[in-house]
Amino acid sequence: MQGNDHSVVQAVLGGNKDAYGALVRAHSAAVFRVAVGIVGNEADAEEVVQETFLRGYQRLGSFQQRSGFGTWIYRIAVNCALDRIRQPEIEAEFRYGEEGDPEERTVQVATPDASPERLLLSREIRGAQQQAMQRLTATEKTAFVLRHLEDRSMNEIAEVLGIETNAAKQAVYRAVQKLRRELAPLRGNA
Amino acid sequence: MKHLNEEELIELYYNEATTAAHVHLRACRECSTQYAELQRDLDRVKAVQVRAPGAEYGERVWQALSPRLIAYQKRPARRHSWVQWKSATVAATCAALLAIAFVGGRYWERHTNKTVAIANPNPPATQRVLLVVLTDHLDRTERLLVALNHADSSGPAENSQLQSDARELLASNRLYRATASKAGDPAMAGALDRVENVLAEVANDPNLTADDLERVRRDMNTEGILFEIRVLLARTPDQGSGPKPAKGASI
Repeated sequence: MQGNDHSVVQAVLGGNKDAYGALVRAHSAAVFRVAVGIVGNEADAEEVVQETFLRGYQRLGSFQQRSGFGTWIYRIAVNCALDRIRQPEIEAEFRYGEEGDPEERTVQVATPDASPERLLLSREIRGAQQQAMQRLTATEKTAFVLRHLEDRSMNEIAEVLGIETNAAKQAVYRAVQKLRRELAPLRGNA
Repeated sequence: MKHLNEEELIELYYNEATTAAHVHLRACRECSTQYAELQRDLDRVKAVQVRAPGAEYGERVWQALSPRLIAYQKRPARRHSWVQWKSATVAATCAALLAIAFVGGRYWERHTNKTVAIANPNPPATQRVLLVVLTDHLDRTERLLVALNHADSSGPAENSQLQSDARELLASNRLYRATASKAGDPAMAGALDRVENVLAEVANDPNLTADDLERVRRDMNTEGILFEIRVLLARTPDQGSGPKPAKGASI
């Protein structure tokens, strides 16, 4: 796929705009998942995806062929997502979401066993996880999302974040430790 | 028996643990209990957070994005590669001269500091050549920044010229920046690094609009960079103006 991505990039730079569609189709789902993990809700994640591929297109000339397009676009996505959560109105929405109804700001997941008690518990856990995620630093959150949800290697995470592999590992460890500490009160309920 | 710590348990969860950790986990009840707890916690995070967008998602993103994109201009491959080759050769030659001049400059600096009276204070010939080359690069950069600061993007031809100049300067700027960095000239390396960011933004934007130019001017503080370039130009001795202090020659 990587070699193929490189030839598509060459085609786009050669004037074939539509070829970029293949890259968007191939990588948008992964970019979306990363964006959701960082910004915490689908609406903002959709915006991040659009912004990511737009910026990616504009900077395609600076894409270094030695790295994979997937890693490169991830890096842009992470920056877009972090820019997004740094915006004051988004931070305000997070605070509102935390204090108000977490359901409105969190990802909707279908629950197979949908008894009222189960739904309530699931909602409680989801809200707590969302809050715990928002308390991580930008680097911890990004490293955790890439490692835990996207199953990316530590080397890739380090490349995306522009840090050493060991620093990426430490960021993941800190994120896991913080999340576990935050979610410990819910352990008995699950 | 030394138990596994939390970091090692996390490594086990992500399949990054050593064989010894695996062996210990199988043998130690306490560690396996702790690992089971960690596994339960992390599995639960995964279950809630992951949501796969539908198969049509990529197509939807592309349909929304496509009208906002403008195709890159197709350039003849042969001319492009010839220009690239030519630029690379010129840039490599300049970089080699720069490197020689740095070494020569440093040697000359030490030499002049030790000697009270010098028979011939002129810098070595390679250094003079390099200073001309570098001064020329800084001059061209200065002109581009002035053009950028005053461009209103009223004419596409003007923008096209700006982009073409930026592309041309980008390759040589990289080499000058790398050489300055290696030779321990942080002021020059830093300024050239900032110049490089501006050049890359201007050169790589497929559709340079007035808004883009304004964004580059604002976000990258091109006025400030222009000032830096003028200061650096003042550091480089003018041709024919006679010898200058040794410090200026080490640029």
